[in-house]
Amino acid sequence: MIATMGNKKEKILLEDIFVKYRPIVGFRVRKSLGARNPDCEDVANEIITNVIEKLKKKEFRGESSIGTFIYTITSRRIVDYIRQKSKVLKHVPEPSAYPDPQEQIESKERAETIATAIKKLKPKYREVLYLYYYKDFSREEVAEKLGISPRRVSERVNYSQKLLKKYLKK
Amino acid sequence: MRNCIFEAMIDDYLLKRLSEDEMKKFEEHYFNCSSCFEKLVERDELVSIIKSKGDEIFKDEYISVAAKGETWREKVTSFLTPRQWAAAAVSAAFILVIIFSVIPMLKPTAPQFFINDDAVRGGSITLISPVFEAQTIPSHFEWKALGKDVEYKIYIFDNGNKLWEATTKETSVNLPENIKKGMTTGEKYSWQVKAFSPEGTLISMSSKVQFKINDRE
Repeated sequence: MIATMGNKKEKILLEDIFVKYRPIVGFRVRKSLGARNPDCEDVANEIITNVIEKLKKKEFRGESSIGTFIYTITSRRIVDYIRQKSKVLKHVPEPSAYPDPQEQIESKERAETIATAIKKLKPKYREVLYLYYYKDFSREEVAEKLGISPRRVSERVNYSQKLLKKYLKK
Repeated sequence: MRNCIFEAMIDDYLLKRLSEDEMKKFEEHYFNCSSCFEKLVERDELVSIIKSKGDEIFKDEYISVAAKGETWREKVTSFLTPRQWAAAAVSAAFILVIIFSVIPMLKPTAPQFFINDDAVRGGSITLISPVFEAQTIPSHFEWKALGKDVEYKIYIFDNGNKLWEATTKETSVNLPENIKKGMTTGEKYSWQVKAFSPEGTLISMSSKVQFKINDRE
């Protein structure tokens, strides 16, 4: 799909760009449109295709980094999408099979595994995750409630993540 | 592995606590920094799982927090962070040191006592003689010195009535003959010495000591 034209070197480069930036674009789109929005995949694909086309046309001249170049295209498209959406309600929100049923089952299983792993953490880690992410207290508020420093809060969150990663690798 | 300064913004981004400007900056950053993006995706997964399954994951916390509320101990300890507690302890110790090192220096060199005639305080004057009993009518009264340049006042009492008084810088005094004549054997008398500084301030006073003049055999 990418770069059927052009030399081999360019093809590799464009493929790399796709592999590296497609997830980032997808992430950014989901954050703006909402993960449950069925348009996310379409918009993200559209953006990355647009990026590849621009690169083929040599529209990227290296005034900024390639990341910033793609970021700018992404942001613009998202703004367009939101503007369109507010004008005409194109899509009635419907339960859709996003991203694809198989993947969804896998991510559901993964989520279950992580949830189980969190339950197995020591209370001092669980309480931080609970207050910080679930109860949505600020880092300082969590620190105050637990009688630890704000830096400690971050340390515990980061360490929890490490423990969960370890658990998932088992 | 060096930490990127933008890492600190990951949580705030996911929890929507960044300003518009910060958000844009951070978004541009993760398009350029794969390390941050990787961490962002990991953290996003954790946060979204906690947000969606939190009530199940944190059943215990929910119950324990609701049940115990805040005990007084938590209230006290959470009033300050450990670092603040440490600071408070250090400053308290510092203040105590100042109090105990400075206050003694502020004490006046010459002690002033507020004493009534029956109370004795401070460095006391020890009376040497006569105490308890005297074989004859005593003519010589002696006490221990309290210091240099001290003026003593001696009082002799007969049943609480002042019989005689004298002022001296010595530590002894002789009783005049006319007073001796007025004293009788078998009677109880008492005496007392008060000490004054050169400025006339009362420094100390002895207790009233009683002596009995025995009958001559």
